[in-house]
Amino acid sequence: MPNIPQPQRQDEPVVTDADLAALLAGTTDAAPGLRPVADVLAALTAEPTGMELAGEAGALAEFRRQAGAQVPAQRPRRSSGLRSRFGVKVGASVTAVAVVLGGGAVAAFANVLPAPIQRLAHEAIGAPIPPARHHSPSHSRTAAPDRSGVHGKPPARGGPGASRQARPHATPTPAAHGNPQSQGKKGNPPGKGNGKGGQGQGNSQGQGNSQGHHGSGQGQGNSQGKGNGQGQQGKAPHGPAQQGNPHKKGPHGSAQANGRPAGHPRRSVHPRPVMDP
Amino acid sequence: MRTSADARTASTVIGEEFADLLAAAQGGSEAAFSRLWRNANPALLRYLRVIAPGADEDIAAETWVHVVRGLASFRGDEQAWRAWLFTTARRRAIDLARHRSRRPETALDYATVAQLPSSADSAEAAMENLSTAAAIALLAGLPRLQAEVILLRVVAGLDTESVARMLRKSPGAVRVAAHRGLRRLAQITADAGVTL
Repeated sequence: MPNIPQPQRQDEPVVTDADLAALLAGTTDAAPGLRPVADVLAALTAEPTGMELAGEAGALAEFRRQAGAQVPAQRPRRSSGLRSRFGVKVGASVTAVAVVLGGGAVAAFANVLPAPIQRLAHEAIGAPIPPARHHSPSHSRTAAPDRSGVHGKPPARGGPGASRQARPHATPTPAAHGNPQSQGKKGNPPGKGNGKGGQGQGNSQGQGNSQGHHGSGQGQGNSQGKGNGQGQQGKAPHGPAQQGNPHKKGPHGSAQANGRPAGHPRRSVHPRPVMDP
Repeated sequence: MRTSADARTASTVIGEEFADLLAAAQGGSEAAFSRLWRNANPALLRYLRVIAPGADEDIAAETWVHVVRGLASFRGDEQAWRAWLFTTARRRAIDLARHRSRRPETALDYATVAQLPSSADSAEAAMENLSTAAAIALLAGLPRLQAEVILLRVVAGLDTESVARMLRKSPGAVRVAAHRGLRRLAQITADAGVTL
């Protein structure tokens, strides 16, 4: 609403802003024209009456109630809240750490961790060494001597079966995969020691292998089908290269048949000892 | 000579003791809280009689309940304390006005003797009430903003900036409203020859 200035009446007291400000601040005595107003303001701030103080008992009762409710209730609630929150966090952290460490340890001892981690676990907590990914005489875990070599059986029979059996201990070579003529008898071929013929030099001539570092076996599988089996019993845990499977004939006894070109040893995938029946 | 303005200042402001009183009240001292209450409640009632006539005591009681609950967390000086009190009361008054506008109530025509206020000196109280009531009636005749500004400045003892924040006005607008209210009051008293 607009403030429309009106002409001052003759009987209206002359009041300046300074007078009004002083009146509001209550710092100076009122101007003569403002004395009635000063009296009104003084009446507004007069001493309290009994009626105006009648509610003191109720206010004090509320104050007492609040003061009594705050002190015992707030402190335990706050501390228990903090404690429970802290406890939950600590418990969750401990559980998480325990699960991670326990799972890691189990995995390490189960030898299923990746090789670098497994190696680390081996050094840290004595977990098994990670398995070699390729045939290495020094890392073979299957040191069971082959009894077949002891018996001096005829040359091993080649074939896929033989090659499969020979994987753990010898780097198969074309020769190690038998030869077409190795349709020999069942049984363990000579030279089926545990030797790791890892250094076998497979070639098409069948001069395969079994020249392993540790193995003394000298199995000489070759493409000529002389299924060798001349190997000797391995002396070392890593005996000579195995050749042949006593349970399988070697119909696929050629180096070609075994699909291994000379000079490309097949990698061992299943490092299992050969168990003769 | 002690003027009326000096008496007003002395009655509305606690002064240097306030910080100690507040700390004691926050620590659970009933005596300190009683002192704070006795200092502020009369002004609160007088303010509420103008802006919420008929509900002043109820709103004042609700205001103190709210203040008691928040007393432990209150931080500030006496100006802030009074601003808090009167802001709370004003909000309650506004809420009550809204509530009553939605649900009109029928006033009770009677009260039991036990409910009637009592005073040690009824005659003196009547005289005090008369002058104070007359002053409140004069203020109630002013436009709402002018009356409220004068009450907050004079009765509550708040400065212009505090009143401006409370009413969400500029300090200049508050100053103008106060001066207009005082001019109008002077005019009314001069016209009617009011003596309190």
